[in-house]
Amino acid sequence: MNPAGFLSPSLAWLFLLVIPLVIVYFLKLKRPRLEIPSLVLWHSVINDQRVNSPFQRFKKHLLLWLQLLILLSLIMAAMQPYLRGGPGSASNLPILIDCSASMAAVDSPDGPTRLERARKRVETLIEATLPDRICLIAVSDSARQMTEFTNNKRILKDALDKLTVRDVSSNLADGLRMAQALARRETIANVVLVSDGNFSGLDTSANGDVIAPVDVELAFELQYEKLDTSARNMGITAFNARRQTAVLADDGLTPWNVFVRVDGSPGSETSGEVLLEQDGQEIGRQPIALEPGQSKRLVYSLEASGVSNLVARIVTDGFDGLDSDNVAYLHLPISRSLMIWCDTKLESYRHALAVFPDIVVFPGPPAAAQPDVFDLAITETTEKANPNLEASVRLVVGQIPEDLSRLITTRTGISPVVDWNRSSLLLQHVNLDNIQITDEPVRGDDVLDQHVREAGYEILATGRSGPLVLARHAPGRQAYHLLFHTDRSTLPYRVGFPILVKNSIDITQHAAGLAEVQGQPTRVLRPRTLEANQTYTVTGPGVADQTFRTGPDGVLSGIPAPRVGLYTINDSDRLVATVGASVLDSGESSLAAADEIVPRDEELRVTASTTTIDTDRPLWPILAWIAFVVLLVEWWYFQSNTVRVAR
Amino acid sequence: MNVDASTNQLTSLVNNQILARLERLRLQPNRRKTNRTQGEHASGKGGSSTEFADYRNYVDGDDIRFVDWNIFARLNRPFMKLYQYEEVMHVAILVDGSSSMKFEGKFERACQLAAALGLTALMGVERISAYVVGQDGQPPVVMPPCSGRASMKRLFDFFERAECGGDAPIDAAVEAMLRRHRGKGLAIVLSDFLTPASLKRPFNLLYSAGLEIFALQVLGPTEIDPELSEDLTGDLRLVDSEHGGTVDVSSIGELHGIYRDHRERLEEHVRRQCRMRNGRFLSISSQAPLDWVLFDLLQRQGWLK
Repeated sequence: MNPAGFLSPSLAWLFLLVIPLVIVYFLKLKRPRLEIPSLVLWHSVINDQRVNSPFQRFKKHLLLWLQLLILLSLIMAAMQPYLRGGPGSASNLPILIDCSASMAAVDSPDGPTRLERARKRVETLIEATLPDRICLIAVSDSARQMTEFTNNKRILKDALDKLTVRDVSSNLADGLRMAQALARRETIANVVLVSDGNFSGLDTSANGDVIAPVDVELAFELQYEKLDTSARNMGITAFNARRQTAVLADDGLTPWNVFVRVDGSPGSETSGEVLLEQDGQEIGRQPIALEPGQSKRLVYSLEASGVSNLVARIVTDGFDGLDSDNVAYLHLPISRSLMIWCDTKLESYRHALAVFPDIVVFPGPPAAAQPDVFDLAITETTEKANPNLEASVRLVVGQIPEDLSRLITTRTGISPVVDWNRSSLLLQHVNLDNIQITDEPVRGDDVLDQHVREAGYEILATGRSGPLVLARHAPGRQAYHLLFHTDRSTLPYRVGFPILVKNSIDITQHAAGLAEVQGQPTRVLRPRTLEANQTYTVTGPGVADQTFRTGPDGVLSGIPAPRVGLYTINDSDRLVATVGASVLDSGESSLAAADEIVPRDEELRVTASTTTIDTDRPLWPILAWIAFVVLLVEWWYFQSNTVRVAR
Repeated sequence: MNVDASTNQLTSLVNNQILARLERLRLQPNRRKTNRTQGEHASGKGGSSTEFADYRNYVDGDDIRFVDWNIFARLNRPFMKLYQYEEVMHVAILVDGSSSMKFEGKFERACQLAAALGLTALMGVERISAYVVGQDGQPPVVMPPCSGRASMKRLFDFFERAECGGDAPIDAAVEAMLRRHRGKGLAIVLSDFLTPASLKRPFNLLYSAGLEIFALQVLGPTEIDPELSEDLTGDLRLVDSEHGGTVDVSSIGELHGIYRDHRERLEEHVRRQCRMRNGRFLSISSQAPLDWVLFDLLQRQGWLK
């Protein structure tokens, strides 16, 4: 690579201006004529001066030489020469800019945010590395390419100005992958990352350094430019609530335990108060003081009669680096009874359900209104076989799903349960040892568990010849398939059976949001079931009136929530729901910074550099100054009337 | 001319007070170069005046009227009595009338000085002749030899009417003068001596012609010190007043020092050429007061007494 170059070499044609300059000089050089008595003395003076001055020939046309020097300096300046720098100079240079939540932090009171500092650094890089083509990539929870490779400063600076912080964690791997993808199209030798070092999934190395492992192979040299950070911060990293009991209180109020976890940054002690507001009313205030890196969980007890909005706020003592994690939102749902469909033939289930309070089992008493969508359906028919029976959670007993019918068949025979997933929500605490099953599911020849998984099912329990219990999760829908009929097994006679039913109810309560509520983190709002085929408008911080449409299943999903705040979901004329999104990320609140980035090939680990990148150095200001100084010298030398010789 | 001509001045060149003082001064040549004609300058040879000078042996053919008979009576040998012979000195005044003398009153001052020195010569009963040489190749303007107080008006008229202009260098002017001049004595040359040619030849010619050289260089103030000129700055195209030649000079301010060196070198050259021929040299400014030049400078330098 040449050590120097020109940004505008095409302007070299300006050197042709030398020709008219020389011509004009000799044509237009008009000296004042002065008649003197005799040239005798002046002839000898000139001759003597030429002899004494080796540069006299040059000096004879000093004005011309100075003018040429000025012209050449200006032309060279117009061609914008530069000296190439280090890694900052490359023909194509992607610059990854961290825009995660921690980049909104300030490291001193009234100081600039980290993003503003990063923006300035990148601006310097843009100014200095031209004519290299730069591509700006914003990295937050995902990577976004802000510009194509360009050396148009205006485009780059416009894109830089549009960069905003997203209150989400930083997914560095995504940014690096995008750079990898760009490297397939363009020749990329260097990539610059400007960040505060706060990435998701930070770890600590053996020597105590904070490292950021990324599952990416680096095909380029990564220059990790880390901003100096020294902020102290305290933030809410978890906000959830759990119903205290499964029964409604006598006065119709539902008691809740609300949990707020507060994390402090590892660099310094923090203190303050945590306020809890319910529907705009302050209902709790607890002081909190954290050691460096400590976290505490605060518990509040409250009662809610219906939908209730909770807001937790931190009021810190003194300086707090990051504001966005000082508030968190939680929406308590209205309490109601679970609507459960249970086939009349499944007497064992109906019998088990009868002992659980706050549920309504259908078919049941004629007075009870049957809902359109049940919370739980325990049935012998699959969804495809009985599409009229809609339920959020479906427990299918004794049926093989239609899409697995070619893979699994049933035969009569005694089969034990070989193994089961004890941590699954359905089978936790259920002991399936010594269960005898007469309907034995059998895998077809050459059918592997992998084939079942590829069909979208999770195997929860396995028999001797095939899977026994399957689970399938879809947005807003969960289905559990018992491939054997429990009535033709010894399971109803075991203690694990009512636990299985209880687990089904718990799953349903969680799915309906009736048992436990977790705060909504930023990034993407959780899917929610609304009217099918309906268009909704979502408004919130960072989202300006975006419209989304539900599918036939009525699930509204994929709503971005890049900023902390309240998001409203409206249909054409009414407010449907309000959702508060919060950071709720201990990594972002800790403001921890990685000293090293460790890619898949650990030998290529990248150490943070806090110094400014050695970039291309433009030379045109120097040339412009030379031209200006020469102009001044020329003016002084030729125009000054007070020239004296000290002889 | 800086003399008020409206009053009863004898000439517009020099005022009457200076003329009166000049009448009492005489030119003082280093050597006595005279002509045979009788004059006021005592000749080294024997003469016929009444003032005794020396004796010598009688040789055949001597005029016996000059034998000292008293000595003959005592020594019985004839001795000739020699008397002081006073001869006339011819003063040739040459004024450079080339164009270079037009500047800064040089020619006027040269004419004033020529008239003044001519007057002292007339008052000393010398024969004087005057020449003004302007154009090269053309005969000089000549005032024929004359002597006596009666020629004073003629002398003044000549220099009052003298004009300058032309390209004659001083060496050519000397040659032109010598083609017409006859007689030994004194050559007063008034010029700026700004000539590219060597002064050896003209001064040799003068010396060979029996003329003692009195060279008076008249320069303008800005020729002596170019820094006094407001025009001699920056980039200039200098034009020679005589032949129109040009020289482009850049940053002329830096050359003033070198110029002074060369002027002093020229002055020394002319002085040495004169001294080698037993002559005298003086350089004056055209703006120097006339009475100071005549009654102070020239007397101190022994030109006049």
